[in-house]
Amino acid sequence: MAHRSLSDARWREAAIGLAMVAPPIAVLLFLIALPAVQATIFSLGIVPSDNLVFSTGQHLIKSDAPTLAVYRDLLASPFIRDDLWLTIWISLLSVVLVAIVSYVLALYVRFGSGPLPRIVRSLYLVPMFVPVVIASYAAITFYVDRGVLASILHVLGLPFASPAYKPAGVVITQVWFNIPFAVLMLGSGLDGIEQELIESAHDVGAGFLRVLWRIVLPMNLVPLLIVLTFTFIGVVGSFTIPFLIGANAPQMMGVAIQAYFSNYNQPQPAVAMAVLLFAICALAGALYVWATSRSGKHAVTV
Amino acid sequence: MTTASLPKPEVAPGLRLTWFWDVPEFRRAMGLVLVLALSSFLLLPLLTLLLWAFADEWRYPGVVPQSASLKWWDWVLTNGDVGSAVRYSFMTAPVVTLIAAIICLPAAYSFSRFRFPGRRTLFISLLAANAFPKIGLYVAIATLFFRLNLMGTYWGVVLIQLVGTLVAMVWIPAAGFDSVARELEDAARDAGAGPLRVFWSITLPLAMPAIVVASFLAFIAAFDEAQGTLIVGSPTIVTMPTLMYTLVVNYPEPVGAIFSILLSAPSVILLLIARRFLLAGYLAAGFKGR
Repeated sequence: MAHRSLSDARWREAAIGLAMVAPPIAVLLFLIALPAVQATIFSLGIVPSDNLVFSTGQHLIKSDAPTLAVYRDLLASPFIRDDLWLTIWISLLSVVLVAIVSYVLALYVRFGSGPLPRIVRSLYLVPMFVPVVIASYAAITFYVDRGVLASILHVLGLPFASPAYKPAGVVITQVWFNIPFAVLMLGSGLDGIEQELIESAHDVGAGFLRVLWRIVLPMNLVPLLIVLTFTFIGVVGSFTIPFLIGANAPQMMGVAIQAYFSNYNQPQPAVAMAVLLFAICALAGALYVWATSRSGKHAVTV
Repeated sequence: MTTASLPKPEVAPGLRLTWFWDVPEFRRAMGLVLVLALSSFLLLPLLTLLLWAFADEWRYPGVVPQSASLKWWDWVLTNGDVGSAVRYSFMTAPVVTLIAAIICLPAAYSFSRFRFPGRRTLFISLLAANAFPKIGLYVAIATLFFRLNLMGTYWGVVLIQLVGTLVAMVWIPAAGFDSVARELEDAARDAGAGPLRVFWSITLPLAMPAIVVASFLAFIAAFDEAQGTLIVGSPTIVTMPTLMYTLVVNYPEPVGAIFSILLSAPSVILLLIARRFLLAGYLAAGFKGR
């Protein structure tokens, strides 16, 4: 009897536990899984007849069986192809720069001594306080041609080529915006590396770079992969930064998707581009799953 | 670190390609350069915006504005669009925060205390909102909202802002519940307190900092949300961040700058209040919510 009531209690616990986590999971299913599935179906040419906006959209491809015609048309357009390539290389470049800058900062905050690392510890959090719209606008006013940076460099007698309304401006602002998350994440990994380990490596004659390459990087690999993956997904799916700072053409996919959806009344191409981005990010997501499955229990929850 | 005290028998220090890394003076100088470069990179754009808010005229090559003025403040503060955007922002973000708390806090407690099948998978699946490229996700949601007649409606905007608050609202309070020592709860139970009383008088107060931080971050995430609100809400529902797109493009710099100050004020105030808790380590988990 005692055994049986224990098992009853466990069943009850599982039922109550699941019931309590159900609401947020239901919201996720309704607001993420369902739209993603529906978008994929729509992009394959299957148009729900009860949806007036879809069936009256421009450039609509309607089919009874799934077809890749929407994607074929999209990728046949040189403009979209340019946008896609721009998105991929801006994202990769931003991710690499974010990783390098943030790694330097995280190492400095973790292993540096004296008052300066303390300053950096508060400083790198600043972009977290700033909404992305404001960050983008601040970047424009600062980097624009004949703007403040131009003035400063002029006073110093240095030449200046404005990155505003160019891919460079987008990359710079993405780095600016993504630093806090990256440093926090990398820093939480570095905190787990014991000072004694570093010191004993020093004692046997290992230099700074050797310690970094052979001890710190391997021990902090999973947080680094998480930073790479999530920063990549964030940049790929960004709209505000490229919309305000990027060039008019080619533009990043985020800007193109919004324009096709809201301004050109072409929901199907817009949704198909969104699904393309999902596919690209699924590759990055696979990397993330691989990274976390290799790690212990707490790698994801920090 | 005193690496110089040890003799290195095989390679003379001067011959190693990276010997300079181990010179303390070099590293101190590098630290100074790093801090200067970082503060310029992070702060100068914001400082520019701050100065623009009080500038009348600021032409190249002036490093600071040529003349100051407060006339644009008048314009911004009395503008009807601005007033309506402020109203919509404060009609949506608090409601989103409240809904997120109602939905998520029981879940956070459950993740922390109960064993059930799929617990870890469900916990990680909350990250789904961050695993999708945001703009793609919003357009996909918008296609669903068209069907449900939620486009351009108040509840459509509330729902789209809710997406970005769930992770923080579950993960951070769950960490808060985790950190409550079980011994305290057991002691209260031994003293005769029922489960509800233990929860209200022991568990909840001790987890409260985490809940407060999560609520602040959820509010900020909802309040600052611009891209999804733009797609789902406009042109009927224009919140402060979405109005910013228009202001930036159509008006002179001081207008955008002043509006930026208004828009960032709630975030800065809330984050300063929560600073003590934020630095206690909830931040890494919480930041993902954005």
